Amino acid sequence: MPQGKLCNRQPIKTDEQLKLTLADKSGIQYYAEMEELDVDTDLLWSTIQKTMKSRTKTWLEICAHCGMCAESCFLYQVNDRIPEQVPSYKIQSTLGHIVKKKGKVSNEFMRHCMEVAWSQCTCCNRCGMYCPHGIDMGVMFSYLRGLLYSQGFVPWELKIGSGMHRVYRAQMDVTTEDWVETCEWMAEETEEEWPGLTIPVDKQDADIMYTCNAREPKHYPEDLAEAAILFHVAGVNWTVPSEGWEQTSLSMFAGDWECCKDNVNHVYSAIERLNPARVTGTECGHAHRATVIEGPYWAGRPDGLPPKPYIHYVEWLAEALREGKLKIDPAKRIKEPVTLQDSCNYVRNQGLKDVTREIISYIVEPGYFVEMAPNKEHNYCCGGGGGFNGIGRFREQRNVALRKKMDQILDTGCKLVIAPCHNCWDAIRDLEEEYEIGIRWSFLKPLIIGMLDIPEGMRVEW
Amino acid sequence: MFKKILLATTGSPASFGAARVAFDMAKRYGSEVTIFHVVGVPTKAFSHVVNDVRTGEEVEIDDEYLSWVEEELKTTFAKQFAGADNAKIVLKTGVPSREVLREARKEDSDLIIMAASSGENVTFHKGYPGSTLQKVAKAARCPVLSVHRESASYWGGFSNILFGTDFSKQAESAFKFALSTARELDCDLTIFHALDISGKVLDQNEIEENLLVARKRTRETYVPLMGDFKNYDIEVWEGTPYVELVKLAREKSIDLICLAHHTSELDPERARIGSTVEQVILRANCPVVSVSKPDKV
Repeated sequence: MPQGKLCNRQPIKTDEQLKLTLADKSGIQYYAEMEELDVDTDLLWSTIQKTMKSRTKTWLEICAHCGMCAESCFLYQVNDRIPEQVPSYKIQSTLGHIVKKKGKVSNEFMRHCMEVAWSQCTCCNRCGMYCPHGIDMGVMFSYLRGLLYSQGFVPWELKIGSGMHRVYRAQMDVTTEDWVETCEWMAEETEEEWPGLTIPVDKQDADIMYTCNAREPKHYPEDLAEAAILFHVAGVNWTVPSEGWEQTSLSMFAGDWECCKDNVNHVYSAIERLNPARVTGTECGHAHRATVIEGPYWAGRPDGLPPKPYIHYVEWLAEALREGKLKIDPAKRIKEPVTLQDSCNYVRNQGLKDVTREIISYIVEPGYFVEMAPNKEHNYCCGGGGGFNGIGRFREQRNVALRKKMDQILDTGCKLVIAPCHNCWDAIRDLEEEYEIGIRWSFLKPLIIGMLDIPEGMRVEW
Repeated sequence: MFKKILLATTGSPASFGAARVAFDMAKRYGSEVTIFHVVGVPTKAFSHVVNDVRTGEEVEIDDEYLSWVEEELKTTFAKQFAGADNAKIVLKTGVPSREVLREARKEDSDLIIMAASSGENVTFHKGYPGSTLQKVAKAARCPVLSVHRESASYWGGFSNILFGTDFSKQAESAFKFALSTARELDCDLTIFHALDISGKVLDQNEIEENLLVARKRTRETYVPLMGDFKNYDIEVWEGTPYVELVKLAREKSIDLICLAHHTSELDPERARIGSTVEQVILRANCPVVSVSKPDKV
């Protein structure tokens, strides 16, 4: 069977192909073509032989099918605890089967794997913490996604998302020109209230280089303005690169590993070009995972580190508050029950659990912070991670997945949720839209700006 | 001075008054008018689905949908389109306030015209300035004219302009705009200050003394800026500012009220235009223009 015009093994590399795929409403033609898509079983098996490392082989081999991972998975919990949602079953019945069959699997089976890989796992890696052998199904699902992507079995939106990164070097069609223009626009809009505020582009040797999520310049540029205000008030010598500013990686969700490497190298070359002392990104979990935690390995950096110290936004914020560069007016602290969403990607996967709580200690009146249960590295995925938020085909499953977070939030009794991660923020917004539980949600930046003790003359009152 | 008008509209009846004013101005002053409509608000993180601004339903944007929306707008404004040579429709997706600001900046618009709200919100009546107007008025570089009552849009060009001042920095920009409009269109200009005595019990002598001071201040602040412009009048009344503004506008058959807005609230969701401007927009029987920035005056 031939490869489809839209659904095929080739990544989207041109604007023309991108527009063509985008024009296919709901991916109807795309998914129809997928049903006819040929599985290159030889290629699949040779890819597995070349890329499957001993860890994954061992994991598949030693899994005792004990089921102790079952309760760790929020998708198992919210889906009536059906056996098909047990993490070990999910991976053994997909990747395990492909390996067992030496890649000789059918189109139908590959489509089944796609469904499991993108609608039954968010790669939140929680199961890995509860497996007696430390087997991490999230890591294996990421690997499976790579195999599926290479064969063309990837959800329509993620094929496009990955294509966006390849064509525009951003997850949305934000060009370099659009980005620089947005920086100028936001500086203009903000400088009147904050005299002296600038958004310096391509400044050499700054203390901080800032990177962000393409959704910000595209739809919410005020987020960039808010970052600028906080850097300005903290007196930081900062910059944004004109190229290499986009920190996210939908290609990581898609399993397009070649593109992941390309994305991260693009950011790293900006660091090398501008030579900042440090880099920090926006309040985004997967962007941090892609660029800071996994990126160095994709890029083949021998030390496993980005070219310069690369901290998450919460680390920068905590430091600025700790050192008094940003001062909170105690009278403006949050005085209502408030809870915090721990992002899987930088909390479970990097351990930044205390630093977020340190921020809470500055901005919330003592006695008002309510932990979710469980929390920190044990926290559940928001329900929208791993690309789940954006895939129309699996919207129904995603909405069910949101229920775990909804229950956790309802149990705290809080109406305000702080979510310093784009995907979490979106998932929580969507859960409010879907279930109407009467909550509000916020990134840290606007909250902090609202409670700053601003030095005299720094801000002009309107 | 109104070369480029941006009419931001949802296409709902709440914006018909604004549309009437925009097209009327375009025909009268030879302006270029852009009917700007945000099709949907992006939802669900990275996705191709948006919430339709009129129905609230999830839609996928494609060419077919866009041409349908364009056709709808053309039908809605068919009467106005007739005879408007310099009008075009621009459709975008995104957060409405942000996209209006983006378009105004891109096109270097001289004036944004919009309704006070989409009229969909049952909690606030349709004249109540909605969050989109609030955000646009806060950040726009050009004046933002709002029309929320049908009755407020039945006018035949500007001839009587009322400028209300609280002597703030932003009021300087609003004054410049009022003056240059009055000059260019040969209008009468009333400069007005309301001595705010709402909620206070004051001695009548004190009120009168304060009125004298305010009148002097108004004269000293604005007369030197007017040069040879003579069609002006100064009024200083006491009361609740928005009530007095609306009363004066009615009494003098004002057809444009010009005010500045300013707020110290950072959160645009909570930032109100400023209670006076807000109340005037809600009540006035003529278009109200909010000017805060010096760029387009």
